[in-house]
Amino acid sequence: MLEGRRNESVPENTVYYRPGLAEVLRVDKRSWEVLLELEMAGGPLAYQPGQFVQVSVFGYGEIPISICSSPTRNKSFEICVRPVGNVSRALYELSVGDRIGVRGPYGHGFPVAEMKDRDVLVIAGGIGLAPLRSLIHYVRDNRAEYRRLAVIYGARTPAYILFENDVKRWSEDPGIECLVTVNKADEGWRGRTGQVTEPLRELKLDRDRTIAAVVGPPVMYRFVAMELFNKGMSAEQIYFSLERHFKCGIGKCGHCQLNDLYVCQHGPVFPLSELLGRTEAIEAWAPEKDQD
Amino acid sequence: MFHYMITADGLLDFFRRLLEKQPVMGPRERPDQPGFYYFDWLDRAEDFALDYVTTAIPPKKAFFPPNETLFTFKTGNPPELAPAFEEFPFVLAGVHPCDLSGIEALDDAYSHPPAEHRWQASRERAMIIGMDCRPDEYCFCTLLGTSAHRKPCDLFLTPVGRGYLIEVHSQAGESLLDGVSRLDASRQELEEAEQWRLRKTERIVHTLRASLDRFADMLDAGGLTRVWKEVAGRCYSCGSCNTTCPTCFCFNIDDEYDLTLTSGVRKRTWDSCQLLDFARVAGGHNFRGDRWQRVRHRWQRKFLYLYRQFGRPYCTGCGRCSRACTADINILDVINQLIEAAQQEAADA
Repeated sequence: MLEGRRNESVPENTVYYRPGLAEVLRVDKRSWEVLLELEMAGGPLAYQPGQFVQVSVFGYGEIPISICSSPTRNKSFEICVRPVGNVSRALYELSVGDRIGVRGPYGHGFPVAEMKDRDVLVIAGGIGLAPLRSLIHYVRDNRAEYRRLAVIYGARTPAYILFENDVKRWSEDPGIECLVTVNKADEGWRGRTGQVTEPLRELKLDRDRTIAAVVGPPVMYRFVAMELFNKGMSAEQIYFSLERHFKCGIGKCGHCQLNDLYVCQHGPVFPLSELLGRTEAIEAWAPEKDQD
Repeated sequence: MFHYMITADGLLDFFRRLLEKQPVMGPRERPDQPGFYYFDWLDRAEDFALDYVTTAIPPKKAFFPPNETLFTFKTGNPPELAPAFEEFPFVLAGVHPCDLSGIEALDDAYSHPPAEHRWQASRERAMIIGMDCRPDEYCFCTLLGTSAHRKPCDLFLTPVGRGYLIEVHSQAGESLLDGVSRLDASRQELEEAEQWRLRKTERIVHTLRASLDRFADMLDAGGLTRVWKEVAGRCYSCGSCNTTCPTCFCFNIDDEYDLTLTSGVRKRTWDSCQLLDFARVAGGHNFRGDRWQRVRHRWQRKFLYLYRQFGRPYCTGCGRCSRACTADINILDVINQLIEAAQQEAADA
């Protein structure tokens, strides 16, 4: 079934894995992450919410990063990067006017067409909010085409809340139900504490009309799925976006293989119904780990 | 199809002519290890090894080198990128039937949309001369139907008497023979070649205890963890099986600065799904963090996922992984062990 979803058209800049150049238009740097606004030299990037790009800092390497802006807004696009590895740390140090390599976009994004006239439920954990911000903005910009929009976002601590201004705006928007929770509160925190599943439990859903988009750390998926099943939703209505270390983006390098699927091609956004029978989707099934 | 006969001297002359026109990659003996062979550029026609058993590294490296430059870069603002891709035409000679099948497998995988431009462009540069082989105890091509594989070669050589039978498989192959002294093959010579091949395949005495279709079903059904763990208990996760496999095509991409720290190369290197960090992501999660999961992945990819996707196993029966295995794990033994376990499981149920 997923074979039909396989993305057969490849952006021009995939040829020989040579990226195009993108200029940094804006740098919004915070303690735990940086938001970069980028503009492709060869004309705007045509993308959908949930797709990713391969981003290069030459000399450091190339990593996959999901696009966190919506194609409904600017000619430019945005990525949000948390500095953990060599490339992401180099991205964190960029300044306005710097040029980096970008190829893509790749993969299948969120089912924005299928979500039309439906209730959209967004559940994000940690940096998982980045690709979902693209979806949230997309739905907001086409608000008349969608029914309810509910956003549940869980962060480690208040300091880790991504896109603070956006989250604040969503909370004030009467068209969005935005529930934010942190695992560990600090002194100034007046909001909720606990896992994302807790506000989710309280939320009343029209189970037949809702489509859920979920992105977070692997451990989150199992519990969110359980909660959504409890509410009567089916696996076809639940979409997960999966993380893998893509090297090529075109289903060749093998790094993103999930049983018989390539996450970069068939995903990264999958309906849960396609993941249930596959052993490598969310977590490996065996608890014990290698000692080497 | 045309068949010609060429004498041993004629073949040497043929290779001399080839080398005058373009570079030729073929099997040659290691100067440091007599009796061991590797694919490399031939300096002289005499370098071409006609009776090698196998090489450690398969000839896929002619099109997909273990370590290749994708492009070079100069840092600065803007950074400058320069393409890196060899364009000269060449001949890849002395490829055994199993390895032809391996090249075909990679043709299928890399040309599957979206196609891989580098592989395709590399393949278009080369003509391929196949050659009949001398199997050893690790070979099991007869079980996978690759012992008489010809695609995608242009010419194919089989020893007959003191000379060689040449099968012509393409127009381009025919044109390689321009000006080469040869005779049309007689019925008797064709018969002799057939006999030679029969004797060759008779030397392979292994068995496969179920059809490949059944084996794929067994892998799909699961319940073989006991075997995976047993094999993983012996495996060192060294990745030798992947790097010697003619059908493995996973790779890694990374950057390498030169000493100036202002320029460098983006490189593609062969990668191995058996290595611990192959399926690890930035957050530290590893989707195949257990050794037995990586072992399972290798067999499932070759005999289940890619088998069902392309209708052929991603194994040619060349036996290289078994020869190279540091823990003496034999791919065919494991297949049969899995089949036996699955049959046992079915009998118990």
